[in-house]
Amino acid sequence: MLPLANIMARKVRTAISVLAVGVGVALFLVLVGLTSMLGEIARRTTRVEAHLMVWPASDQVVVSGGLPADKVEADLEAVPGVSHAIPVLRWPFKMAGRVQNVYGIRPADWRFFAQPDQMIDGRTLEGGWEMVIDSRLAGAGGYAVGQTVERWGRRFTIVGIAREGVAGRVFMPIDTVSEALQQRGRRASFFYVRVSDPGQVAAARDAIRERGLNVFTMDEFYHVLASSFVDMDLVIGSVVFVAAFVCFLVILLTVYTMVVERTREIGILKGIGASRMQIFGLILAEAGLIAAGGIGVGFLLTWGARTLILHLQPLWTCEIPPVRFAYAAALAAVGTFLGALHPAMRAANQDPVESLRYE
Amino acid sequence: MDTILETRNLTKVYRADGVATPALRGVNLAVAAGEFVSVMGPSGCGKSTLLYLAGLLATPTDGTVIVAGTDAGSLSDGGRTHLRRAHIGFVFQRFNLLPTLSAEDNVALALRLRGTAVADRPRDMLRAVGLEEKRRRRPNQLSVGEQQRVAIARALVTQPAVLLADEPTGNLDSTSSEQVMDLVSRLHAESGQAVVLISHNEQVAARADRLVRMRDGQLID
Repeated sequence: MLPLANIMARKVRTAISVLAVGVGVALFLVLVGLTSMLGEIARRTTRVEAHLMVWPASDQVVVSGGLPADKVEADLEAVPGVSHAIPVLRWPFKMAGRVQNVYGIRPADWRFFAQPDQMIDGRTLEGGWEMVIDSRLAGAGGYAVGQTVERWGRRFTIVGIAREGVAGRVFMPIDTVSEALQQRGRRASFFYVRVSDPGQVAAARDAIRERGLNVFTMDEFYHVLASSFVDMDLVIGSVVFVAAFVCFLVILLTVYTMVVERTREIGILKGIGASRMQIFGLILAEAGLIAAGGIGVGFLLTWGARTLILHLQPLWTCEIPPVRFAYAAALAAVGTFLGALHPAMRAANQDPVESLRYE
Repeated sequence: MDTILETRNLTKVYRADGVATPALRGVNLAVAAGEFVSVMGPSGCGKSTLLYLAGLLATPTDGTVIVAGTDAGSLSDGGRTHLRRAHIGFVFQRFNLLPTLSAEDNVALALRLRGTAVADRPRDMLRAVGLEEKRRRRPNQLSVGEQQRVAIARALVTQPAVLLADEPTGNLDSTSSEQVMDLVSRLHAESGQAVVLISHNEQVAARADRLVRMRDGQLID
């Protein structure tokens, strides 16, 4: 009764405090949600029916723009235990207002990239000036099967749409990409490699490495990608820390002001029988109400911000697991508690006689 | 008659910047259960300090306060709070109602702080002071006389053994002052609670069973 009445007595200040906590909560959740975009890319890239990824050594990329596909394929399939070497020629290609990495693959290799039931419209690649795109890109760009897209001076026809989750958002026949790029001979940006016996993956990896190529298991490649995001995680972590600290300061300032402003009231409460613990609890309860409101507002802001982001950038990913909401609420609660602690202790220890004389 | 409140050699010295200012000098006062005592004296003579010490809101530099047979000097801060809650009600000169609460909630708060069932007691108490119809009004919607009556209701709703009133008519006009003192006298007569009242006003103080005068931190008669 009293905590609610007290915070409602200063509606504007309470609203600003609630909003400040809410912005902190939303900032935390949206940033965490946006980091899921990086994980989504890493998951997609490694979600292929293969065991290894083989990349050229860096000097080969500079000199030749990739690997000679036929020669490296033969070399890789000569490695004991290797059953398939799957070349991919990757090249940037602008669709739906954003640059996508086209996966140039052999049409017959499609089975390694998607299950048959992942095609939700049209057909898979056969050859020529055609492409398969994923459902996310189709939705973002408003693309449909049969539609044509002009790039590189050519007209490409969308022949199929695959459910999102496949490695790339755009697939084309590898020979088509080579021809469009006017490459001499078939080249590959990297290879996926299947091993006939999963127990031989490490041995195959080591054998390929001896040939001077960069090779990773799928798990290793996922972690290489993830570790390349560490700097971004640091930036995001810093922003989250600043947001949490600002929340803490807002609560500290708000509650401190409330306590100073109500010095006399605290004296009255003690005069009519309130104990130190009751005063302490009263101040924490007021801060808790502000925090609860802030958490609620933060969740609403998060929903609004996420909706807006995905509307403006439909190819972005912003996944926020429920546990993150609990984490954000806990963070706000802890920040609030810490922010309210000093003012609450100050209030609890106020001399009632001096408080009653306070003007 | 049993003594409900007693001060023994009560001494209070305020210290600020190394300067000691004595406010009370060994005050001995005993108030019997149901007795109405007025304390009169000039400003700065220590009347309010005596009341705050007797009400266990402050701790003495020396001496002790005994409430309902319990020596408060031997108690912790929590123990003094408990003793104050159990036996003492306060009425202040400036009413000191919480501005965010209605009259009824102000009265109920005194019960809630004690963990006591509220039920209809605040309403009944406001009826006793003639403010049942205005129980939902906030303090700023009441006259000063009405605010003081709410403060009296708040002090008495817990049925304390002693009511300590610090110049309860000090901020009131003569009519309101008369009404408030009529109320205090009536409730005292009905409930049998002891009353210690501080006042500048001879007429107000004269309503008591016993008048005590103070000067320079001491009782003079």
